[in-house]
Amino acid sequence: MKTAGKLPTINYQRSTNRRFVWRIVDFAVAGIFIYAGALKAFDPVQFANDIDNYKMLPWPVSVALAFYLPWLEIFCALGLVFRFLYRGALLILSASIVVFTLATIAAKLRGLDITCGCFGHASQNWSFPAHLVTNLAILAGLLALSFKATSGNRLQMRSNFS
Amino acid sequence: MKSSLVGQAVILAALALLPAAGEAIYFRDKISWRSAIAPSEMVTVEQARESGDTAIWVDARPDEDFAKDHVPGAISLNEDRWNELLPQFLAVWTPGKKIVVYCSSLSCNASREVAHRLRKEAQLSDVFVLEGGWEAWLKKKR
Repeated sequence: MKTAGKLPTINYQRSTNRRFVWRIVDFAVAGIFIYAGALKAFDPVQFANDIDNYKMLPWPVSVALAFYLPWLEIFCALGLVFRFLYRGALLILSASIVVFTLATIAAKLRGLDITCGCFGHASQNWSFPAHLVTNLAILAGLLALSFKATSGNRLQMRSNFS
Repeated sequence: MKSSLVGQAVILAALALLPAAGEAIYFRDKISWRSAIAPSEMVTVEQARESGDTAIWVDARPDEDFAKDHVPGAISLNEDRWNELLPQFLAVWTPGKKIVVYCSSLSCNASREVAHRLRKEAQLSDVFVLEGGWEAWLKKKR
């Protein structure tokens, strides 16, 4: 009976620790996207050329994306930090990293020696495997956060129901 | 925020449009929506002609097109035979000369690629791309 009184405190402590760890993951992923977005937002001309190097889109579309995508990344990252439109932000960031990874693989298969432009000038000398590993690591983080958000919602719905 | 997943994504996508539009206005002179070449790296046919003998014309089109017709005095330098043609071009080039690269039309990429390689690999400055390419030159010739 003595330990029975301590259990809720221990569970509460574990739950707080877990929440803290998930918030760190939130901040880490958001930090990567804010950094990447800011680099590209400062140099949209370079980013338009990077998109154009994939040889998949007409030039005016590359220019439009060069202006738009960095801000989309920044807004979504801020969504993760402030937990505002959180699941929508995760959806967009996951979709964008999947599209960039597939485009990088397609470009490699077509024999194009390109920079992905993901981190502006910082990623210019990255090798293809380095791009791939970085993108997959970020995607893993995003998927983990999505899973956490979905399971968290389910638990809340269950507790509301009971 | 209780809105649906797609609803949240749409709101974020719409929010990002605002700064993107502002940035597009801010950078309007630094990037062209029509061509990947910066306005400062382009010359019109008239500007290139004004340079007279101080300009070297570089034809970035394939060999067959160059053989059919080309700008008088132009030197062929295309990416297909880059390693072979570059030394021939460098033999003619002298410091201080303006290099005007052209390909077939406004939509071709060859002149942009050749100009980029001349700047990067041959370390040459004063390299310009002819706006409208060979088509524009033909029109102005008439």
